[in-house]
Amino acid sequence: MATRTIGESIRLTKRRKSFSESYIGEWIMTIDHKKLGIMYMVTAFFFFLVGGTEALLVRTQLAVPDGKVLTAEIYNQLFTMHGTTMIFLFVMPMLTGFGNYVVPLMIGARDMAFPRMNAFGYWVVLFGGLFLSASFLFGQAPNAGWFNYAPLNELTTGCGATAVSCTTGLNTDFWALGILMLGVSSIAGSLNFVVTILKMRAPGMTINRMPLFTWMTLITAFLLLFSLPSVTAASILLLLDRHIGTHFYQAGAGGDPLLWQHLFWSFGHPEVYILILPAFGMISEILPVFSRKPIFGYTFIAWSGVAIGFLSFTVWAHHMFAVGLPMVAQAFFATSTTLIAIPTAVKIFNWIATIYGGKVRFTASMMFAVGFIAMFLIGGLNGAALAVVPFDYQVTDTYFVISHLHYVLFGGTVFAVFGGIFYWFPKISGRLLNERLGKWQFWLMLVGVNLTFFPMHILGLLGMPRRVYTYAGNLGWNELNLLSTIGAFIIAVSIMVFVWNFIVTLRSGEKAGDDPWDAYTLEWDTSSPPKAYNFEVIPTVRSRRPFYDKKNPDIADWKTATH
Amino acid sequence: MSYARGEQVGTIDEHGHEGGRSINWWGMIFFIASEALIFANFIAAYLYLEIRNGNWQLPSELTYPLINTGILLASSIPARFAGAAIVKGNQRNLKIGLFFTALMGAIFLGGQVYEYTGLFGNHFTPSATIFGSSFFMLTGFHGLHVTVGVLFLVICLLRSLRGDFTAKNHFAVQAAEMYWHFVDGVWIVVFSLVYLLPLIRG
Repeated sequence: MATRTIGESIRLTKRRKSFSESYIGEWIMTIDHKKLGIMYMVTAFFFFLVGGTEALLVRTQLAVPDGKVLTAEIYNQLFTMHGTTMIFLFVMPMLTGFGNYVVPLMIGARDMAFPRMNAFGYWVVLFGGLFLSASFLFGQAPNAGWFNYAPLNELTTGCGATAVSCTTGLNTDFWALGILMLGVSSIAGSLNFVVTILKMRAPGMTINRMPLFTWMTLITAFLLLFSLPSVTAASILLLLDRHIGTHFYQAGAGGDPLLWQHLFWSFGHPEVYILILPAFGMISEILPVFSRKPIFGYTFIAWSGVAIGFLSFTVWAHHMFAVGLPMVAQAFFATSTTLIAIPTAVKIFNWIATIYGGKVRFTASMMFAVGFIAMFLIGGLNGAALAVVPFDYQVTDTYFVISHLHYVLFGGTVFAVFGGIFYWFPKISGRLLNERLGKWQFWLMLVGVNLTFFPMHILGLLGMPRRVYTYAGNLGWNELNLLSTIGAFIIAVSIMVFVWNFIVTLRSGEKAGDDPWDAYTLEWDTSSPPKAYNFEVIPTVRSRRPFYDKKNPDIADWKTATH
Repeated sequence: MSYARGEQVGTIDEHGHEGGRSINWWGMIFFIASEALIFANFIAAYLYLEIRNGNWQLPSELTYPLINTGILLASSIPARFAGAAIVKGNQRNLKIGLFFTALMGAIFLGGQVYEYTGLFGNHFTPSATIFGSSFFMLTGFHGLHVTVGVLFLVICLLRSLRGDFTAKNHFAVQAAEMYWHFVDGVWIVVFSLVYLLPLIRG
């Protein structure tokens, strides 16, 4: 290879910018945690719109009895992909995106521990998501529900004469391979979080001074590391059954469909907490700032999160009460499920006590946070009801369960996510989202959520099973279903208000400045948006509210508080 | 701060104190922990099916698997030898250690293929019975890990021939060694479960 003179090299660099310096290249090649965080969040929001559209189609079909909008097969694909998309492609990447953007800033680090693995995780999520969604192009989207029970997930050829119902297409292969890909990404992401949080904190930031969002992200990362292997193993066995001819889930050949349920739910229940713990963390950041008080009972919030993390591995079979478990097992899982309500309730009391007596500023972010507490409480209470085995027998696989899970996931996580977006958007973009539009969005969403999901409680008690593609007109379910569908469209309007707000703000939003909320944690102690290196000088931490200390040196926490 | 250069991701401590293990080491530990849990799930599935289906007896002799196990477990010794060598900057012993570890791993894989061939000859296949499904799942998944481990070692060996590693800069070797010990350790559990448990039950 010929060597170039320095002059030639300079001319070459002048002639064209390299790909990684172009605008698009800068994003594609980036390993910066902030850019990747934004990419995660934008991708997740895209899939939120996809999953939402699927939900609207489902609700349209169910609006009136004997609906003719969708065929049964298309309906199966839509509700399966709605669940799969919302959980794996919206909530998980959205929370990962927040963690990516906010956590290194919060702990005073310059990046994640493994920046390139971080980028790897993002790209696998993107392509895994596109892979899963591409199944629609083949008309063979996954159609056996987001938990894909055996034997519904088995191939007809492998099922033998004993199977009740089996599929023939590629549907479940899309699901299993997609989940394996997303699992790889989540493992990469979560071990990155664990190492970053444990090893890269600013000097003085002991474990007991970490912001609570960081705490919850850490616990979530551990849950992912230790629970994802279950669904990975389950999916591998499923693919072997379907393509190699093994018999793991085939009762007729010595296998057991319940094995799938055990493996899936021993991932699936920690997963539920993976979806909600970071939301707890966001709420625990937002409430104190807008109540002008430190969080009430920091230690209790942090350690009740740890307790939830441990207990979440002991409750999986409460999804399986109706399959005929031994009595002892039912008693155990009912008890552990009731037990896990305690650390969750502890948090609710802490949040209420944080607001109590504070100088509350009702910004859009704060309204979502307060809305979260109310909605999550409803979801938590009807969840505790489901832990009672005889009651569960009655309502399992009815709309009561749908109502419960949407109150915790939509009323809970989605409200927290919007609270988080309104809170951190100024840091990310340098502009404040419009408060007026934000409040419109909040009230529309609050009405929409309750109108959609509250009637489902009653529908469930009236015996409407989940996953039916239509129902007869004489069962007394008509009005409630129609209400529910109207509610779903109100939610859609509220999301459109947000999209409008987002576009308007990016074009001409009010400039935010570095610290628009007079906040407490380190991410606000740098420019908006932060420079690539985050902080000019790494701050030294002396209490749980380092930025508050810096702004109020005379009454700094480390002078007045004991921790 | 962290910086990425080549494979080496390191940290510059801005406050001048060195603290324990490297960030890479921690990353590898959590990766292996997650891998171990995949095995735990497979083992749980194996036991679940074994208990439901009763006494599983392999239609083959124990001799070959025993020899194979001996070779695999012994291969941890040259792996440690290589890891200890590069810490002192000893390139020659690094190469010798990596070479013999990879070789012994390859022999184990060869033995496994030989064993599988015999079992297939006896009509013991993944699709024949649920025991076949479970046996090939567990040993096959472990075999896959050994394959990955051997590739890992071979890549390290090729890089060491190029002189990539120094006494201070050799995380790939350390990671390969950690992974190899893990693969060895898992085999003890898998072997006990698949080959020894039926003996005890008789």
